[in-house]
Amino acid sequence: MKIAFFGYFVGQAVANISNNRLVHLIGVGTMAIAFLIFDAFILIFLNLSHWTEERGKLLTMSIYFKEEPGGVVLQNIKTELLHFPGVTIKRFISKDDAMKSLRRQLGDKAGLLDGLGENPLPASLEIMVSSDKCGDSIPYQLKTRLETNPAVDEVQYSQEWIRRFQGIMDLIKIVGVVLGGLLFLAALFIITNTIKLTIYSRKDEIEILKLVGATNRFVKIPFLIEGAIQGFLGGSVALIILFLVYTIAIARVDLRIGFASLDIIFLPTQLMLFLLLMSIIIGFVGSTISLGRFIRI
Amino acid sequence: MIQLFHVYKAFGSRNPALIDVSLTVRKGEFAFITGPSGAGKTTLLKIISRAEKTSSGQALVNGRNLNRINERELAFLRRRIGVVFQDFKLLPRRNVFENVALALEIAGFPLSVVRKKVHQTLRYLGLANKEDCYPPQLSGGEQQRVAVARAIINNPLILLADEPTGNLDPDLTMEIMALLREIHIRGTTVVVATHSQELLRDTRRRIVTLNKGRII
Ligand SMILES: Nc1ncnc2c1ncn2[C@@H]1O[C@H](COP(=O)(O)OP(=O)(O)O)[C@@H](O)[C@H]1O
Ligand SMILES: [Mg+2]
Repeated sequence: MKIAFFGYFVGQAVANISNNRLVHLIGVGTMAIAFLIFDAFILIFLNLSHWTEERGKLLTMSIYFKEEPGGVVLQNIKTELLHFPGVTIKRFISKDDAMKSLRRQLGDKAGLLDGLGENPLPASLEIMVSSDKCGDSIPYQLKTRLETNPAVDEVQYSQEWIRRFQGIMDLIKIVGVVLGGLLFLAALFIITNTIKLTIYSRKDEIEILKLVGATNRFVKIPFLIEGAIQGFLGGSVALIILFLVYTIAIARVDLRIGFASLDIIFLPTQLMLFLLLMSIIIGFVGSTISLGRFIRI
Repeated sequence: MIQLFHVYKAFGSRNPALIDVSLTVRKGEFAFITGPSGAGKTTLLKIISRAEKTSSGQALVNGRNLNRINERELAFLRRRIGVVFQDFKLLPRRNVFENVALALEIAGFPLSVVRKKVHQTLRYLGLANKEDCYPPQLSGGEQQRVAVARAIINNPLILLADEPTGNLDPDLTMEIMALLREIHIRGTTVVVATHSQELLRDTRRRIVTLNKGRII
């Protein structure tokens, strides 16, 4: 198609939009709502998977000591741990602390512990290892390394924890793709019908164009451009609303789950651009689908 | 140029609008279709421009069988047929200039040519000062002339005019008829549908009379 012609069609599309402002406003509004639902879903999905991934990458490791370690021993171990990337020291649990927490757990039956002469519970150091910053083999390396330390009795960590989160993540991904797909189809359906409204309001015009010798392509192109423009506007409005809601409401909530505070992240720029592109494509495809029926004259 | 063979046209289960109509209009001919209101004149013109399909029978226009023409070929054929519709069929949201320019834009003429030809044609039809008006702001006669302008601007092979003087006073009627004659002289085949006996009184042109869907 010649450039001059493209300009003509864009001009037609813009003129049509300004001539049918109300219908287009309704169209853009409906699209914005549909896209907002879809974008919000993506945001929730993104955060869920981001969160489980973070969780899944962290594992807690307990270093049990043979005896209550002295300050120097503890300090040496801590210094050694700092050489490992992704290691955070959570807390030191002394023999007394361990006993106290056991008593607390037993509650009424804590009396059972009275018969014990010496405190049999070991002191321990709890650390977190992020497999993000290091390979999967790091926990094992760390374990063997620490166990050579004469003060250390045993190092334990839970491998299952990682696997469980892996399972949850996979599930979330599957559910996400299915639900996202359904939402996408719903959005497309709503949008197609909205565009039909736009087209229906101009079916006389389409008829006249055809009678004067316009090809289907000539009739269609301005509608497709309009659809794309509507999609772009609707998509932009949806993202702006989502961002406002995010900054005003969600970012203020400080969710604390377990020991780590949880950030809620917003859509990264690339994903936003992708969603905007999707909106444009949906507007375009929606117009194509809607036009089919009206153009047979 | 136009050949109809045993054309029937029925709308639903009512009495057919056209019954066994056979008609040939040769290239360069000027013909009137006449008959009382409801006789089928508009329907006949619609068959020729393929705005309606025949229920049965064949219609050939410029050598093309209208029962066997695809969307694209039909669009190209319609660009060579100028139609003045009984209800004008102007785009209410485009001004006079844009309405007339449409026929040329569809045919893919560059903007400079479109401007020149539209100005020329509108001046010719006495509408030069109405270029920026929108159809609803115009009188019936003015709208009719805009419809004529759009129909003739592309030098069509065939001009179909459905009651082209229906909204005009006697002076303008004379002018429009003179215009149609001029277009005819330039080589266009012209078919005019009218119920007005006035228009046909002194003509030596061919007159096809329809009554209740039949040629009589
Ligand atoms: N689209 C249509 N649907 C149903 N009936 C129609 C339609 N167009 C025309 N008719 C009927 O066909 C007959 C001929 O109409 P028309 O061709 O408009 O006559 P004329 O132009 O000679 O006045 C009339 O009875 C009219 O009611
Ligand atoms: Mg009629």
